[in-house]
Amino acid sequence: MRQWIILFKKEVKESIRNFKWIWIPVVFILLGLTQPVVSYYLPDLLEQFGGLPEGAAAAFPVPTGSQVLAETLGQFSQIGLLVLVLAFMGAVAGERNNGTNIMILVKPVSYASYISAKWAHMVLLALVSFTAGFIFSVYYTFLLIESVPAAHIIQGALVYGLWLTFVVTVVLTLSTIIKSPAAVAFLTFGVTITLSLMSSLLPEIMTWSPGMLSSHSHSFFMNGYGNEGFWLSLMCTILMIAVMLSLAIYVFRKKEMAVHTT
Amino acid sequence: MSLIKTDNLTKTFNGTNAVDGINLNIREGACTALLGPNGAGKTTTLNLLTGLMNPTKGKISFDKRYSGDRRKYLGYLPQYPKFYGWMTGIEYVVYAGELGGLTASEARTRAEELLNLVGLTDAGKKRISGYSGGMKQRLGIAQALVHNPKLIILDEPVSALDPIGRREVLELMKRLKETTSILFSTHVLHDAEQISDDIYIIQDGRVVINGGLEELQKKYQQPTVHIETEENLEEWSMSLESAPWVRHLKAEKQKLTVTAESIEDARNALLTDERLRQLKLNKFEIEKTSLEDLFMEVTK
Repeated sequence: MRQWIILFKKEVKESIRNFKWIWIPVVFILLGLTQPVVSYYLPDLLEQFGGLPEGAAAAFPVPTGSQVLAETLGQFSQIGLLVLVLAFMGAVAGERNNGTNIMILVKPVSYASYISAKWAHMVLLALVSFTAGFIFSVYYTFLLIESVPAAHIIQGALVYGLWLTFVVTVVLTLSTIIKSPAAVAFLTFGVTITLSLMSSLLPEIMTWSPGMLSSHSHSFFMNGYGNEGFWLSLMCTILMIAVMLSLAIYVFRKKEMAVHTT
Repeated sequence: MSLIKTDNLTKTFNGTNAVDGINLNIREGACTALLGPNGAGKTTTLNLLTGLMNPTKGKISFDKRYSGDRRKYLGYLPQYPKFYGWMTGIEYVVYAGELGGLTASEARTRAEELLNLVGLTDAGKKRISGYSGGMKQRLGIAQALVHNPKLIILDEPVSALDPIGRREVLELMKRLKETTSILFSTHVLHDAEQISDDIYIIQDGRVVINGGLEELQKKYQQPTVHIETEENLEEWSMSLESAPWVRHLKAEKQKLTVTAESIEDARNALLTDERLRQLKLNKFEIEKTSLEDLFMEVTK
């Protein structure tokens, strides 16, 4: 456990030194802040600059508070995820490719700790950034549009946080298996986009899917409870996270660290 | 007392044996050199010992007194050590020490001590990204020593360094030898001769020759006599071929090279040879072949 904390502290320190702890939260805060502001001023903006026919702007009513929060999550799922995946795609592959892990792994370091400390740090950074961004979003939604019951917001945010954790776990696992960080990013996007698309197109057969979680969180904002099949998809996601993490550790242990050169 | 023993250690990559049945016996308290040309399998052998690679065949056994995870008792410096450039030197050594099982304060004291030993006390506070090759190598040795390992394994510790860096690191290794067992690889015989007690010469993944340095020197250094005359000596040299002390002989016009069994017999026989005097001796030189010749010969 002591060793795990040492490894975890190193990850945090590294991300502070290369400013990941600044720019990732900043991106989420900007996203969280703009969504309610833009929603609030959109009808005015259209009227001023849209060049739309008289009265057309009335067709764009100011959305409800829970809609704005759901739209914020939509922003997080696109640009936010892009930033997270790009920031973490080299988590394991990078150290392996440039050989910095060699001198660490010849110390009596547990491979499971090495991987899980990286995972915990990635999840922490993702969740802190998400929380920071979402607090801004909630604040401006309350200020400009309307308030939403706090319990609904917290439940919805927790559910969405699990989706982020799932995506981060996919990045880590792929980064352990695949050498090229670019391929890791590409495949992660492939997986998340497929899951989200399938879930919205074929909700009947995708009830288990982690891709359903963001629509469940929308439902929480609106009603205070998830859609049908919420528990199934929650349990499946947690299970898949656990399986992927174990797989990452297993693969990492099997792989030979030293690369044969001559 | 042997610290590590390997038995028929073999590693195969895509059907070729990079390491082909190597038996090593690393003694505690000794400095052992793995000597061989590039591509002989030295690095692979060391990777197998540290556990960074798994052997295809064969067995590695560590001294029974040191049970459990082998890595606890090993310090390792790769050929091209790669550090986290964003850390400072002292941070890295402390980090390595903590991972090696020291407490935070122990690691701190030990790191300061080691940076002092390798001459990086001041540079220790700077980021590693600004270090020179020699500094990185010395920092690498410090991190290898930090958790007080029984054996440090150094892969080509001086090959990438300029002459000054080379001397620094060799001097450092000489000092370390007093307190720690060392296993290092090199392709430069001179380095091995300078500091090692035991030598393994490796070629194509096999041990060609091994033994203590002095023993090898005694066994393979042969006295050689070089003779130059003004007249052609080829005809005279024929008469030497049957002499009991001659091991090998090569004559060419006015030059003769004789490898002798015993230097005393050779000197006596040659200097009392009347016919050699008539050939008008220009040069008479006795030389001992070094291990270099042996090395060149076995790795041909």
